[in-house]
Amino acid sequence: MKGFLRDDDVMMNQATNTQTLASVDPNSVENRYVVNASQGQTSLYVPTTTGSEAASWNMYRVDNNSAENGSFSSSIHHHVHHSEPSSRTVQDGSNAASLATSSSLGATNAQPDYSSYTSYSNSAGPYSHGSTGYQGYYSGYQQQPNPSYSQPVGAYQNTGAPYQPISSFQNTGFYAGPTSYSSTYYNPGDYQTAGGYPSSSYTNQTTTWNGDNYANYTTHHQYSNYAPDTSGAYAAGNASANSLHYQQHYKQWADYYNQTEVICAPGTENLSVASASTQLAQVPGVSSGYPTSNSQAPTSFAPSWRPESSSSQTPLSQHGAPVTGAYDSYRTHGAPSFQNQHPSPVQPHFVKPLDSKSPYSNFQEQQKTACPQLPNLQHPVSQPAPQNYQPPAQTVQSSELQRVGKLQIQTNPRIASNLPLGLPKLEKEGLSNSAIAKPAYISVAQPKSSEKVLSNDAADSVFKAGVFPKSLKNYVQRALAQCKDEKQSAACQEIMKEIITKATSDGTIHTRDWDAEPLFPIPNTDMADKNNSQNPTPVSLFSKYKNSPAKRSRSRWEPLPEEKPVDRLGSLNNYAAKYSSRVHLNEEDQKPTGANSEGKSDVMKKFRFIQMEQKSASKTGQRQVKRQRLADASAADNGDVSSDSDKEQNLTAYYSGAIALANTPEERKRRENRSKRFEKVQGNRAENNHFKAKNAVTGNLYARRTTALVLSKSFEDGGSRAVEDIDWDSLTVKGTCQEIEKRYLRLTSAPDPSTVRPEEVLEKALLMVQNCQKNYLYKCDQLKSIRQDLTVQRIRNQLTVKVYETHARFALEVGDLPEYNQCQSQLKILYAEGIGGCHMEFAAYNLLCVIMHSNNNRDLLSSMSRLSDEAKKDQAVQHALAVRAAVTSGNYVMFFRLYKTSPNLNACLMDLYVEKMRYKAVSCMSRSYRPQVPVSYIAQVLGFGSGMPPNEGCGEKDSDGLDDCVEWLKAHGASLVADSNGEMQLDSKASSSTLYMPDPEDAVAHGDASLAVNDFWTRTSS
Amino acid sequence: MAYPSMGEAHRRITDYLNNFSDAVSYQDVASLAQLFSFSSNSPPLLSVADALNFFQDANRLIKQSEKFSQYGEILAPLFRSLQSYRTGNLVDAYHAFEKFANAFIQEFRNWESAWALEALYVIAYEIRVLAERADRELASNGKSPEKLKGAGSFLMKVFGVLAGKGPKRVGALYVTCQLFKIYFKLGTVHLCRSVIRSIETARIFDFEEFPRRDKVTYMYYTGRLEVFNENFPAADHKLSYALTHCNPLREANIRMILKYLIPVKLSLGILPETSLLEKYNLLEYNNVVQALKRGDLRLLRHALQEHEDQFLRSGVYLVLEKLELQVYQRLVKKIYFIQKQKDPSKAHQLKLEVIVKALKWLEMDMDLDEVECIMTILIYKNLVKGYFAHKSKVVVLSKQDPFPKLNGKPVNS
Repeated sequence: MKGFLRDDDVMMNQATNTQTLASVDPNSVENRYVVNASQGQTSLYVPTTTGSEAASWNMYRVDNNSAENGSFSSSIHHHVHHSEPSSRTVQDGSNAASLATSSSLGATNAQPDYSSYTSYSNSAGPYSHGSTGYQGYYSGYQQQPNPSYSQPVGAYQNTGAPYQPISSFQNTGFYAGPTSYSSTYYNPGDYQTAGGYPSSSYTNQTTTWNGDNYANYTTHHQYSNYAPDTSGAYAAGNASANSLHYQQHYKQWADYYNQTEVICAPGTENLSVASASTQLAQVPGVSSGYPTSNSQAPTSFAPSWRPESSSSQTPLSQHGAPVTGAYDSYRTHGAPSFQNQHPSPVQPHFVKPLDSKSPYSNFQEQQKTACPQLPNLQHPVSQPAPQNYQPPAQTVQSSELQRVGKLQIQTNPRIASNLPLGLPKLEKEGLSNSAIAKPAYISVAQPKSSEKVLSNDAADSVFKAGVFPKSLKNYVQRALAQCKDEKQSAACQEIMKEIITKATSDGTIHTRDWDAEPLFPIPNTDMADKNNSQNPTPVSLFSKYKNSPAKRSRSRWEPLPEEKPVDRLGSLNNYAAKYSSRVHLNEEDQKPTGANSEGKSDVMKKFRFIQMEQKSASKTGQRQVKRQRLADASAADNGDVSSDSDKEQNLTAYYSGAIALANTPEERKRRENRSKRFEKVQGNRAENNHFKAKNAVTGNLYARRTTALVLSKSFEDGGSRAVEDIDWDSLTVKGTCQEIEKRYLRLTSAPDPSTVRPEEVLEKALLMVQNCQKNYLYKCDQLKSIRQDLTVQRIRNQLTVKVYETHARFALEVGDLPEYNQCQSQLKILYAEGIGGCHMEFAAYNLLCVIMHSNNNRDLLSSMSRLSDEAKKDQAVQHALAVRAAVTSGNYVMFFRLYKTSPNLNACLMDLYVEKMRYKAVSCMSRSYRPQVPVSYIAQVLGFGSGMPPNEGCGEKDSDGLDDCVEWLKAHGASLVADSNGEMQLDSKASSSTLYMPDPEDAVAHGDASLAVNDFWTRTSS
Repeated sequence: MAYPSMGEAHRRITDYLNNFSDAVSYQDVASLAQLFSFSSNSPPLLSVADALNFFQDANRLIKQSEKFSQYGEILAPLFRSLQSYRTGNLVDAYHAFEKFANAFIQEFRNWESAWALEALYVIAYEIRVLAERADRELASNGKSPEKLKGAGSFLMKVFGVLAGKGPKRVGALYVTCQLFKIYFKLGTVHLCRSVIRSIETARIFDFEEFPRRDKVTYMYYTGRLEVFNENFPAADHKLSYALTHCNPLREANIRMILKYLIPVKLSLGILPETSLLEKYNLLEYNNVVQALKRGDLRLLRHALQEHEDQFLRSGVYLVLEKLELQVYQRLVKKIYFIQKQKDPSKAHQLKLEVIVKALKWLEMDMDLDEVECIMTILIYKNLVKGYFAHKSKVVVLSKQDPFPKLNGKPVNS
């Protein structure tokens, strides 16, 4: 049943792959790439990882022994044979030759790859055997995966389908498996932009790997490692910590390399398997062993181990440290190795023979050491070499495979924690079971089963120097008993893993009373689901903590929330299966002690060098790929590809005005729109460019707008950029209108370029307005439209200042304070930007405005204290300051003198205060003077004159002013008497009690007379 | 940043976490407050910050134990803030701190008693200081500084938590004072009004029950507000309260209070001893006081000009400027006394020319109209009793108490 399902999946995979092949065909390199990738990925999905792996391992053995592997289809052999010789020539032959052969390889490879798929499906047999063997032990877990397993694959396929056309790379990356699935989700945000990372040495890798399909794995690691600190907390410390890591990594890598090589070595010898074949072999090996563990193990592993490793790595004192480090490094390095193979053997391999050297040289190196040792046998041969690394306390130097095995042993109990760790017996049994299921192993496995137990123990001890206490096992079981369904138990495991990890790290694992330990509350599985569907990795971290930046509410709307757990279980299955096989390998590895320690350092050195080379090489080579991938990834950006791709389509469709949302439910659309509001822009320039490029051609504003919106949507991770940071330049209009005159109309929609005037025309328009003789209303309207055009075109220069200054002056002249205030506040900003204008004049206006308008001492003080010394010397400003002094002291004589000598339009502002000042003055006079004051004096002092007091000479007593004054005084309730000479006198004593402030004649209900249209017309028409 | 070892870093962070959870569970507010006091730059805190920067995954440690993870919302941003603070990235530090503070008041709300008030004080203080520094950082990068504003709205939220009934109300005044500091710094003093209203109108809580230091700070700031409003009696009352209740050993505080109290007292006609000005280094007022004593308008104007920036910044410039009228009064009074010595019978009639001449001696070039205006104002403001006869240009002084003393009352306005 499983086999069938898988068959189907594989077939589908193949189908899609062929599609890609067809579409991308012209480039054989790419072709190859794709195929390979798909190969690796299928192996991922297919729980037979072990199977496939076994296959790859077996192949050599089979070739050597050519006996046991009945279960494996001959196509594998065929494939191996097929590709190996050719690549052999690559190896042995000159570079030129390699080029030639490689191209053929590319062609031939396609077939073998497919055949290998079938082989996978075939290998279902052994796999299911193995799994059944384990089923007993992994009771609950095994069962779910089986039926559900096919689901994720199906899901991928579905989601993949729409994707296919976008790019093959994307696709392959996407296909790479559950891990990559989630990693595509996080990819765009997490590392392209996160500021913290660049400092770490990791990033180097990241960038290197990025272009590759398999970068996804790396990504994943990265993510899992850094996830909790997206906020950038990591940044600083990383470098130091990592550098330590790194050495280990490299070592590991080398080890790993050696090992794979060694394993292949026999094959090479006997079968003339070339390095290329090694690579091929490795690909499945890595992809299966490694990514599979990714898809599952990382979920639990990466986060939980990470801190420990980092904490313990430095001192290297803890037992667990090296291994965790090792594991980590293995994982990160697994990815590199993967990568390595890809860019170098697959892509550049053909293009650049140089790269192919890297594995090759290693291989040679390896051979050198391996060959002398093992002239007789193949698998024994393969074992000794790794054995070499193992002895040293199983720490850094232990062979990769060993480590993998170990780790699996460790983690297994936690993930499938039904199975208590320290039960070698069970494992042994399982082992033998699987061994039986796979006869290939029998010979090797059987005799060493005891040793295997040893390794198991060793693994444990590596982790925490000892077997877990029995009470802990009970505790785990108790905890698991709580769980009602597999989701819960999965989540439960995560938590338990954390607990145990923590206990281990702080050394309380043995001391703690596990029996008395309270059970943690069962986590909300829905939550966990969501998390899972986002990314398997951070589950353990974030299931409880919701504030992590990695978490986005969007996940709520992912359509396949149940997908992840299923995946995980599926991969658990893998895991179990692989576990057995790994154990075997372990044993094998463990057996004899090899002797290539001298070679190792060499290899290491070389390897390091090579890797560097590759990095740089691949960086350039991959940039292209990366761009493309990014662009596509942006669509895929966070996770759930299907919904996202849909979403993008929707968005574009939606905003370009089309309502064609045929296949989208209304509800979802609304949700998207809603969710978009909260999404933050993020700096992914690549995407930006991508979109820009896409839309640059169209002058259509809507398209641009779409861009911005899509941009804002696709940038959402990280939260480091706000919506305001959108590049609004792309939304700025360039006007084309040539009309000089334009009526002002408040915009209710995006401006239409055809109605917006460009700068030259605006300049003419300003001149026209300045020189025209029409009334203020017309000028105001024209100036407002000019201001609008400036604003939509984001023109901020001298012209802008001039426009605002002109408008402010016109407004002052007619006392249109609201308009003046608008202009003044804009001018303040413009001046602050350093754009020159009549700065002083408007500083003075500002000061006057504060004095006259608001009776706020604080405002006055602050605007006074802001004046520069230079400004204080300015005539207009000095005048304004003097006016202020006059006003605050109530010195009406001074005030009206200043009124008469006011520069610029200061008088216009002072006008606003004249009435008040006069009233104050008269009340003061009526109080102080006795018995009378001549009205002529009052008229002179209080600036009454014919119309425009400033134009009058001092002391001139013209009758107009006097009449005005009399009128004014009467209006304000003063009692006037004529003295003996017939001169009008203010009877101060009588007036002092009768003065009042009349209601302003032009008072209107809404408080602003200028808003009364009729009145305004009469006032402003000229 | 070399750090001894990963283990050491781990240990320090765990210690910190333990301290936190212990402090919370034992309600040990003193040690809790210490954990938040960034600006104290205490070595233990800095070492934790270093450890955090070294040890990248402190959040793991928080989550490892239920003991810590229940405070994860508080601790995680706190760690982030501490890290950023240590690395000098104050804007990030502020952001994280605000997140932390929000989580903390959430928790604080749930605590029945007010045991954690001191810790809340520290947070209120730290967030303000951090915001100020973050703003400085932003300003130096050419960005608009708005963190202090954000801190203000956060503290408003804290005020809301505290201002209700119950034991936590005691803390409201502290938060109010922090808010005052922010508003005064931002120049948005009008925002103080709502807080003040809530403090002063509350019947349920007597003002005197607040802690003394908060009362003094509160009175100082509200007194300053009254100075702005030129409500001198109220300003006098509040600032005097602050002066009499503040710690007499804190000379800096006393000086700050006197800086506003002296102009207020001056405008109420009460002059300080020179020794007081000397003791608290307030000599910028010395010439003002001398001018008032001598009726020397020139001296006053010079003094104002000399310290213009300072007075403008502290906001007493306008107050001091208004003393001009008192100086005129003093001058007229002096002329009156001289005339009285010469000819007591005509002393109450002051010719305008004489006053103009006197002003000319002081190098104040004013014409008759102006001086006449000033005389009317003096009469109008009741600084001089009498009337002005326009025809003869004579100030006719009242025979009884022609120059009434202010005696603590403000000049009529």
